[in-house]
Amino acid sequence: MNWQALLLSLQVTAVASVLIFVFGLALALLFARKHFPGRLIAETIVTLPMVLPPTVVGYYLLLFLGQGGPIVGWLRVHVLFTWQAAAVASAVAGLPLMVLSAQAAIANVDPALENAARGLGSSEPGVFFRVTLPLARRGVLAGLLLGSARALGEFGATLMVAGNIPGRTQTMPLAIYDAVQTGRYDLANQMVLLMTALAFMGLWWVRRIEQPKRPQTPPPGDVKEQRS
Amino acid sequence: MGSLSPLEKTRLTVDVELHRGSFRLGINFQAGAEILILFGPSGAGKSTLLNMISGLVKPDAGEIIFDGVTFFRKHRPGININLAARKRRIGYVFQDYALFPHLTAVENVAYPLWRQKDADSKAAMLLKKLGIAHLGNRYPHELSGGQKQRVAIARALAPDPKLLLLDEPFSALDLSLRERLQSDLSALQSESGLVVICVTHNLEDMFTLGDRLAVIQNGNLDQIGQVEEVFNSPVNHQVASTLGIQNLFQARVVDSRANGIVLEWDGLYFEAPFQPVKVGELVTAYIRAEDIKVLYPDMQLNKAVSHNQVAGANPPCQWP
Repeated sequence: MNWQALLLSLQVTAVASVLIFVFGLALALLFARKHFPGRLIAETIVTLPMVLPPTVVGYYLLLFLGQGGPIVGWLRVHVLFTWQAAAVASAVAGLPLMVLSAQAAIANVDPALENAARGLGSSEPGVFFRVTLPLARRGVLAGLLLGSARALGEFGATLMVAGNIPGRTQTMPLAIYDAVQTGRYDLANQMVLLMTALAFMGLWWVRRIEQPKRPQTPPPGDVKEQRS
Repeated sequence: MGSLSPLEKTRLTVDVELHRGSFRLGINFQAGAEILILFGPSGAGKSTLLNMISGLVKPDAGEIIFDGVTFFRKHRPGININLAARKRRIGYVFQDYALFPHLTAVENVAYPLWRQKDADSKAAMLLKKLGIAHLGNRYPHELSGGQKQRVAIARALAPDPKLLLLDEPFSALDLSLRERLQSDLSALQSESGLVVICVTHNLEDMFTLGDRLAVIQNGNLDQIGQVEEVFNSPVNHQVASTLGIQNLFQARVVDSRANGIVLEWDGLYFEAPFQPVKVGELVTAYIRAEDIKVLYPDMQLNKAVSHNQVAGANPPCQWP
C-alpha cells in the first residue's frame, strides 16, 4: 500500500471538503433564494466542471493559479505543483455536486417558515442557521458527501495543476496510474480496492440520507381534535 | 363612522398602498386596544395587509405607526423608514401555522425566546395555558390541525407582543375549543391591552370576538365600524353580500336558561344555544339560510326537528 499517497489524498480531500462546504453552501443559498441578473449564467459556470473534460478544467486552473493569473499577480501566492493546488482542483471538481444538491434542498424549504422566523425576531443569519439549514440538512449533507467523494477521486485536473510528484502531490488516483504504468499490479489492486470501498461507503451514506423516512402515521386517537 | 370611540386611544395607524400587476390595494385605518376583525372574500388583500403590518411584504407607499414607533414610511412626509420584521415585535399566527417542522411543540414556542434564561419554562407555561402541555415533545407532523393551531398561537404570544395578528386562527378547531380560545383571547386582549387584528370568515368569531369589523374587498376597505353596526347598516350592497347577510333580525330575549335561550321576533319564538344575554334585551340574530328546512305537508315531520317550528304562511317576500 502506498501510505504516502493515501495520507496525501485524505489531506487534499479534507481541505477540498471544507472549501466545497463553505463555497458550495454560499452559492447554493445565493442561487436558491436570490434573483439577480446573470444568475442562470453563474449557475451554469459553477456546474460546468461536471461535464467538461478534467483537462479543460485543469487548463483553466493553470491559467488562474499560474504565472500571469490573478492568484500570482494579486496575491503573490505560488501554489502550482503543490498539494494545495491539488486541493483547489479537487474542490472545483466536487463543487457542482454540492451546489446542485444543497440548492435543491434550500429551495425546498418553505419561505413562509423563514418569514415566520423573521417575524419571531430572527436576524438573517439566525433564519439561515436556525431554520433554513436544519430543514435542508439532508440535501446539504448529501451534497457534501458527493462532492467529497468526487474530490477524493479527482485525477485529470490535479495532474495538470499539481503534477505527479510522489510524496508531494501524488494522490491515490495518480499513484494507481503510476502503479499500473510500472506494472506493479499488486499495489494497484490494493489501492483500487481501497478507493472502491471509500467511494462505496460515501455513496451508500448519501443514499441512506436521501432515503425518505418511513411514512409517519399519526398516533392513534389523535387524528381528531382532542376535547379538553 | 369607523372612528374609535373617544375613550380609546389610537395605537396603530395603517395607511398603505400596494400595486401588484392588476391588483391594487389601498387601505387606511386606525386601531386601538381592541379586537379588529378583517373580513372579506379570498384574494381581497387581508393576508397581504397583515404581511405588510408585520414587515414581510413592503408596501409601495404609505405609513404604518404602532405605539409611536414608525414601522414603515414611504412617499409620506418625513424620512423613509422600513423597520425589519424582526424588530417590530409582533405576534403573528399564520393561516397555515408555519410551525418549524424540525422543532418540537415546546421548541417552537421557545423559538422567539432564544437565549433567554426562562425560555423553556415560559414555553411550557404557554402550552399549558392552551391546554396542550402534554404534547410539548411532539413534532408538528405528530399533531392534529387544532393542536398545531394552538402551538402557533402559543408561539405568537411567547415574546409578549403588544400587537397580535391572527390569520384565520380558529379555523381548524372544533366548536368547544373554539369557544374556549375565543374567550381566552378576549380575556388576554383586555388584560394586557393588546391590539388584535384578526382575519376570519366565521360569523361566530366575528360576533363573539370582534369589537369592530372591517370589510375588505378588492384591496379596498369598504366599511369599518362596530360589528353590529356594520351588520345592521352595510354601506352598500356589496358589503352586505360579502358579509352574507341573510335573515338578520332584531329579537328580544324572553327566556334564559342554562341549556339555552328563547328569542321572540314579531310573535315568533326561537330557541338558541345559551349565550350571555339578559332577559328583555334586544339582540341581533340571524338564521343561516342553509339551516332552514322546508317541511312539506305530505311528508312526515322529522323527529330531529322538534323545536323552532314556525308555521310558514308563505307571505309574499319583497327583497329590496
